Amino acid sequence: MTYAVSKKGNINMELLKQKLLSGFNGLDIQLRDDQRMFISTEKESILSLLSYLKNEGYEHLALISCNDWINQEKFELVYILSAYMADDNHYQEKEKRSIILKTNISRKVAKFMTITNIFNSAEPYERELHEMFGIIFEGHPRLTPLMLEREYEVPPFRKDFDSQNYVDNTFGKIPSIAERKEGTK
Amino acid sequence: MDRNQIRKWLKNLGKMANKYSFHVVYFCTGCGIIEIPPSITTRWDAERFGIIPVATPRQANLFLITGYVSTKTLKAIIRTYEQMPEPKYTVAFGSCPINGGMYYDSYNTITSLDKYIPVDGYIAGCMPRPEAVFIGVTHLWKLIDMDKADGYKRYREDYTLYRANQEQLFGELGWPPLFQNEKYKYSNSQQTI
Repeated sequence: MTYAVSKKGNINMELLKQKLLSGFNGLDIQLRDDQRMFISTEKESILSLLSYLKNEGYEHLALISCNDWINQEKFELVYILSAYMADDNHYQEKEKRSIILKTNISRKVAKFMTITNIFNSAEPYERELHEMFGIIFEGHPRLTPLMLEREYEVPPFRKDFDSQNYVDNTFGKIPSIAERKEGTK
Repeated sequence: MDRNQIRKWLKNLGKMANKYSFHVVYFCTGCGIIEIPPSITTRWDAERFGIIPVATPRQANLFLITGYVSTKTLKAIIRTYEQMPEPKYTVAFGSCPINGGMYYDSYNTITSLDKYIPVDGYIAGCMPRPEAVFIGVTHLWKLIDMDKADGYKRYREDYTLYRANQEQLFGELGWPPLFQNEKYKYSNSQQTI
């Protein structure tokens, strides 16, 4: 296994773009300021693309995020990868490279496959997306609630979650102590 | 010591000693905690006002709640408040505990703190400067002088109401009631100071 990025610390994003375009179909790649690469792809090729990029040296999964495009009826999953620097002691912002990988999944059937086989660190991110957006990651070892204690009818980060209505119905309905006193008397 | 205050000291020694030695449990609920390190260290030096941080709530008598309160944190706040020995005072810091502040429509942040535990004073602002902490503390001294910082008495008196509010939010609380029933009701003869 060659760590073209991390060992050398010299990353040629153009070269990587050419490699990806020759190796995969249906990629839309944009380069910005030689440090960030945006890849939009079909959801079927996510797993192979992630494992390929991991072998290329982008072995740090920084984040998995999600956008809710409610008018287009889809969730956009965003995987952010970055590479470890060759020399940790002399970290420089100029050398930082990151790859942003985007894909769309259906909003009605919010199911996707887990990437914990490739990146172990994806586990908490996927749990978070599961509880905040209600996306089911098939094959995930434990899709239990991560941070929230309360139960919500609609997952709270979806756009159709009416937060003002929710606050009025839960926290707003709890009376103050003075009101409760009047009620008991 | 101020000479004018000698009569006050002789009259009620315990109360005076209590109010000039606040032992604070800082509860890092939100962004407000970032104002606390400068105010307890040399830049603003909270020990001029007798404020020192302590390790556990069992040694504390002032409870600073710094910032927004999520429902999960509220559980910890209630447990911490109930562990503190009396007399105890609560000061909420920032605008979020008053009415939710910028989290007024958050799915997980409670909108007003004094429905669940009694609050003696609020320091409004987003965020309040460290000077505002000291202004708040000097106001609290006045309130203690006038016996108006009576949050812990209200908590005893209205414990069933507070508990009812807490249970309405959380469903089942994981611990037994702090005060059992009427015989623990607060009366002035039981005053500890």
